[in-house]
Amino acid sequence: MSINLENSNLATRENRIGSITGYIGSLSDLAQQSECGTLRGCSRCFSQSSTCLSGCALSQLAAIIDVAVIHHGPAGCSTVAANAYYMSRVMAKKRGIESNTIYVGTDMDENDTIFGSTESLKEIILEVYRRYSPKAIFVSSSCATGIIGEDIDSVVDDVKDKIDVPIAAVHCEGFKSRIWATGFDIADHAVLSSIVKPPEKKRNVINFKNFFESIRPEIIEMFANFDLYPMFLYCNSTVEELSHMSESLATTCICGTLGNCLGNALEEKYGVPYIRTINPLGIAGFETWLREIGRVTDRSEKIEKYIAEQRAIYIPQIEEIKKQLKGLKAVIGMGPGYTFEVSRVLNELGIEVVWALAWHYDKKYENGDVPPSMEYLLNNDIDFEASVADQQNYEVMNILKKYQPDLYLSRHPGSTVWAIKNGTPAVYVDDEYKIFGYKHTLEFAHDILNSIHNRSFEQNLAKRVKLPYTDWWYGQNVDKFLEEGGK
Amino acid sequence: MANLRQIAIYGKGGIGKSTTTQNLTAGLVEKGKKVMVVGCDPKADSTRLLLGGLAQKTVLDTIRDEGEDIELSQIMRIGYGGTKCVESGGPEPGVGCAGRGIITSINMLENLGAYTDDLDYVFYDVLGDVVCGGFAMPIREGKAKEIYIVASGEMMALYAANNISKGISRYARAGGVRLGGIICNSRNVDRELSLLRAFAKELGTKLLYFVPRDNVVQHAEIHRQTVIEYKPQSNQAQEYRNLAQAVIDNEDFVIPTPMTQERLEEILMEFGMMDIADDYKI
Repeated sequence: MSINLENSNLATRENRIGSITGYIGSLSDLAQQSECGTLRGCSRCFSQSSTCLSGCALSQLAAIIDVAVIHHGPAGCSTVAANAYYMSRVMAKKRGIESNTIYVGTDMDENDTIFGSTESLKEIILEVYRRYSPKAIFVSSSCATGIIGEDIDSVVDDVKDKIDVPIAAVHCEGFKSRIWATGFDIADHAVLSSIVKPPEKKRNVINFKNFFESIRPEIIEMFANFDLYPMFLYCNSTVEELSHMSESLATTCICGTLGNCLGNALEEKYGVPYIRTINPLGIAGFETWLREIGRVTDRSEKIEKYIAEQRAIYIPQIEEIKKQLKGLKAVIGMGPGYTFEVSRVLNELGIEVVWALAWHYDKKYENGDVPPSMEYLLNNDIDFEASVADQQNYEVMNILKKYQPDLYLSRHPGSTVWAIKNGTPAVYVDDEYKIFGYKHTLEFAHDILNSIHNRSFEQNLAKRVKLPYTDWWYGQNVDKFLEEGGK
Repeated sequence: MANLRQIAIYGKGGIGKSTTTQNLTAGLVEKGKKVMVVGCDPKADSTRLLLGGLAQKTVLDTIRDEGEDIELSQIMRIGYGGTKCVESGGPEPGVGCAGRGIITSINMLENLGAYTDDLDYVFYDVLGDVVCGGFAMPIREGKAKEIYIVASGEMMALYAANNISKGISRYARAGGVRLGGIICNSRNVDRELSLLRAFAKELGTKLLYFVPRDNVVQHAEIHRQTVIEYKPQSNQAQEYRNLAQAVIDNEDFVIPTPMTQERLEEILMEFGMMDIADDYKI
């Protein structure tokens, strides 16, 4: 689907790429229906939780160094500011750099809602610019401004000649999508439409979209073997760096969900190839990913040499630990960018995935292909029960109770606690690089082994905890509250 | 307040809701009734004829300028025959949210104790169609229980009236709101009376009153007066008195049965044209 950077409003994932939040069946059925176009997501008549897409969009933008995020809405919408500040400062400190990014809420009140508040917004933008001298300004809508049709685009246009840094309207009304990842796309759209400039020269840089650049030195060192330099996005990126994204040799991302919008847009608009392989998690993922980078940057020889060296070090160790993991059964609940990738790695380690939950599911990415992680699993005859679960913890608990797996793996804060209370050992795949490359795949295998070796903590905790779910619920099918359409 | 009748007047934009409401109010006060008129239109022109001009500071402007700590006297003016007049007000065209404004201002009226025991009637004169939840506020939460729709024999007026009925039937299921009838503000179109009767019957209600077209209404408007004040002896003044009596006497309140677009067009074909095709002499 072609991008339109002239329009500040980006369509939702549901509209753009047919993403869904409700499905229960098998992986093969999910993929087959995606390919032939018959997959219809279904809604729930009971929903336990959800996440606002604006949190995703604005925390991404607030992670950029020295920018201003102005959240135009009632005060409550800006509660994400505390976390955004914390993350921004901590991540900068970790790198040994300083970030003066600020996050401002406009405190929209009843009168502003009735009469509109574009004049106040304009004053706030100019005052923020005067007081903090940010390198870029992002002006976000909220549900309230979305409903009253506040013309943020005009305000942004209006102040462009009064400030000399990039400024973008960011349309993230929480109600317009059930899929939080729409927020990632909205952040990409804002950066692409306001900061990224047309290329002047090519640089030996790989745009590397990720969350927290936690193994930055390690990846810089690895890419140095190939005469490449990774530019990590957006955490700790400078506006100047971002403006040159169009000059990079390729774009890649640690998570398919996080990166597909940016990667496709840079490819479509500036011809920067997007690495569309399975992700660099596990052995097959890491090698496939590296080889594709080698192909598009014409560095295959160096990369094959690196792979051979690293294999010699790590593969024997991984093979050794696999013996102890063989036959374990796992349930996994993550975003779609991870759950099917991690399922592949578990399979590689000899662990049987009995059920994978994805919080949402993208039928196809912008280029029209099904996500590579799905394609890989099907091509390798890997199939299991799969559901699209929209973070519904009660569905996770039902599955854990029924399948009693050896372990549960998840990626979102607090989610492993529930499995542990159920008596199920859990592995928290918190860091996005936790399974990156050979080395971290080996560490991951050790983590799993450590988690299951001594299960007394989980067993004792489960005996003493009363979970809120009733026997009635555990007796129901997982799809009890799913409405017809995706069953 | 047991006998207070709260009435909402809806209808297509420009159909004459404000004019009809104010003249009807004048008819009621002549008969000794105590009436409050609440304008629910950002233009704030629902009480102009009763007050002799746009003399009113709106509820929302007052809240904006003075904050929430305001007195009833700041937002209410006394007009013709002791009528209490309030204008909700709202944002400039194209900005903000007029619907939210109505919600805020009606809540403020309640908080300030505007609904006093001596009142017999409260009229809500509501802008155009029921375009969003805010414009349905007067018929929600047990406020107006009676609704009259002002219409004419023009197709779009009937189309709007049918749409409004859909909104009424939605709220009627949960609350006590009922349709009291259709008031025809005549535009002198073909067979208007029979068309409006047929339309009202199809909606499950009745044509409460047929107000004929008369230029004296226009003259009275220019003089910022109701017809009853401007030309008390005129035929049109008597028509409005009759309308007031019809409202007083009305006991037929129904949940309307809105029709499909196809049925509406059938009724127009059946009743809305003279036999002579394309006779557009007016």
